Amino acid sequence: MKEIKPKVLSGRPAAQGIAIGNIWILTDDNKPVHPEKISKKEIKSHLAKYEKAKAEVTEEYEKIKQFPDEFDLIEIMEAQIQTLNDPEVIKQITRKIESELSTVDYAIFSTYNDYIQLLEAADAKWANERTIDIVSVRDDLIQATKEKKRVFDVKKGEIVFADDISPTTMVKLSQKKIGGIVMEKGGLTSHAVILSQSLGIPCVMHAHWDRYNIVRGYQAIIDGSTGQVIVTPSRKQIDEYQKRREDERSRFEKALEWAQKPDKTKCGSDFKLRANVEFLEELPKLSSHGASGIGLLRTETILFETDEFDIDDQIEFYKQVVESVEEDSVTIRLFDAGGDKLIEGSEGEANPFLGWRGVRMLLDKKKLLKRQLEAIYRVGGIYTGRIKILIPMISRLEEIRTLRLYCEEVKNSLELAGVKYDQNIPIGIMVEVPSIAIMAEEAAKEADFFSLGTNDLTQYTLAVDRGNEKIAHLFDSFHPAIWKLIKMTKDAADKEGISVAVCGEMAGSPEAAACLLGLGINDLSMNSSSIPKVKSVLCKHTLSEMQVLSNKVLGARDLDQVHNYLEDWREF
Amino acid sequence: MVKKVVEVKNEAGLHARPASVLVKTASRFKADFTIKMYGYAVNGKSILGVMTLAAEHGAEMELIFEGEDEQEALEQVAALFENKFHHQQL
Repeated sequence: MKEIKPKVLSGRPAAQGIAIGNIWILTDDNKPVHPEKISKKEIKSHLAKYEKAKAEVTEEYEKIKQFPDEFDLIEIMEAQIQTLNDPEVIKQITRKIESELSTVDYAIFSTYNDYIQLLEAADAKWANERTIDIVSVRDDLIQATKEKKRVFDVKKGEIVFADDISPTTMVKLSQKKIGGIVMEKGGLTSHAVILSQSLGIPCVMHAHWDRYNIVRGYQAIIDGSTGQVIVTPSRKQIDEYQKRREDERSRFEKALEWAQKPDKTKCGSDFKLRANVEFLEELPKLSSHGASGIGLLRTETILFETDEFDIDDQIEFYKQVVESVEEDSVTIRLFDAGGDKLIEGSEGEANPFLGWRGVRMLLDKKKLLKRQLEAIYRVGGIYTGRIKILIPMISRLEEIRTLRLYCEEVKNSLELAGVKYDQNIPIGIMVEVPSIAIMAEEAAKEADFFSLGTNDLTQYTLAVDRGNEKIAHLFDSFHPAIWKLIKMTKDAADKEGISVAVCGEMAGSPEAAACLLGLGINDLSMNSSSIPKVKSVLCKHTLSEMQVLSNKVLGARDLDQVHNYLEDWREF
Repeated sequence: MVKKVVEVKNEAGLHARPASVLVKTASRFKADFTIKMYGYAVNGKSILGVMTLAAEHGAEMELIFEGEDEQEALEQVAALFENKFHHQQL
């Protein structure tokens, strides 16, 4: 076989894990169906074909609905079945066949397309993200009229390359035990991404793959944690990723044993490893991974998912989360949409990461903010002393003051209404904008605690958008400037006697965690699957070894030096 | 025929999930169901029709039912708007 050069694509991480396998391409379903006329004699048979196809596809969807323990699937499939049996659609398709003498295919195709176009043109992002669901209903129906069911000849372990994936296709693909997914579109609220996360299938989205040069059967590697995709990797790369995957697996198993030991270094110093959580599905793993509570509860999904940011729905969600960690605390980050997580009204910004996001949006969306605060304070009334509030994207101190006023307002109205609430919920801030790290001494006088968001701090400090593939390699949280900002933040916090935690991806890398402990930051929050490996490294070393490391890192001139110092710790 | 003007109270508007709940509830009744909004009229039992309204928070719409069980249908559907589409079992 001809030697083909490896090609690296970068997308956005959507569901973590490494997959290595052959490429299988999900062909775009939307092949145009051309208008063709039938004779009057054929009307009856075309109507019958439509009826039969509709019944078959409905049955198929009903079956998918039974797919065991699947998150959200029932509701998604019910909407699909409604779309299939929409009375207006049925009327229009029937009319097109009867009076316009359309073929059944074209009647289906053109009727659904009218709706797809309307939804594509709608201002609301939710409407745009639903069009793939309708496309899949349309195409499943057309396939069924041809009496050749769409079969996916994808094999176990293959990596699916697609433009976008409908929820039904996603379920069918997962039943084939695919290895991973690369898609061009998708979004954090798209059904495909939500499902791939809950099914544990590594997934990269927003990867622009070239349909003319990517061929079925080629090999590919995808890393769902970094968003990297390598097509036709070299033998060396395959070996490397295979090793990484196996290492990850075996290290993870070994590390799991450490997870149950106390949170102490070899010399007996305490630390706390907490989990970053977004979905309820993540909760059952927390205790086996050894998490001490939740250091970052993301609320974007719950707020996007629960209709209209309803207070009772939120309370129910927070309650389940707090219950799952027994006696430990939960830090709830206020709704942090914007940037790459769009909310209506934030579309089309030229620089979304420098735009209307985090606290900036919250202070404009007062109703949403007050509802979330009310829900949190009320849950605090049930689990007093166990909840903290974290404000995202603070870039000036005035924002903390304004936000505190809202907290007071919510507390007052709960007081008046005689509802039980927690009066003393600590209000902390994310340190993720350089202006706040630089002003940390002043900020420490106004915030109850700091939480370092190292991902955003990195992109804002280094001026690197890691979604931009041309410069993504410049994104490196280990840059000496970041360590200096972390140190400044920690020193300022010590001066005012407030606590500092780190909740960025950095905390999930054992060598960085060791260095953070060396700096005196012993409260780290990370994806729960990273806790065992981080813990095993921290337990095996003394604090003074970590201090030696952090001193070296703080004195580094450049990234190479930092990596050299950290390198020694990577072996463990 | 019975009519009522209701307001979309859900913060996120009448998006996919509430639309699905609305259609599911309305479809249990025999009465014909039309929704009028800003001069458009759609079949309230058509999920695609309801979705294309893309009704935002605060939008007003007129619910019109016609048929033997029209009163009960109107009450239940109007209640959904009140409850912000939470209780599917209504």
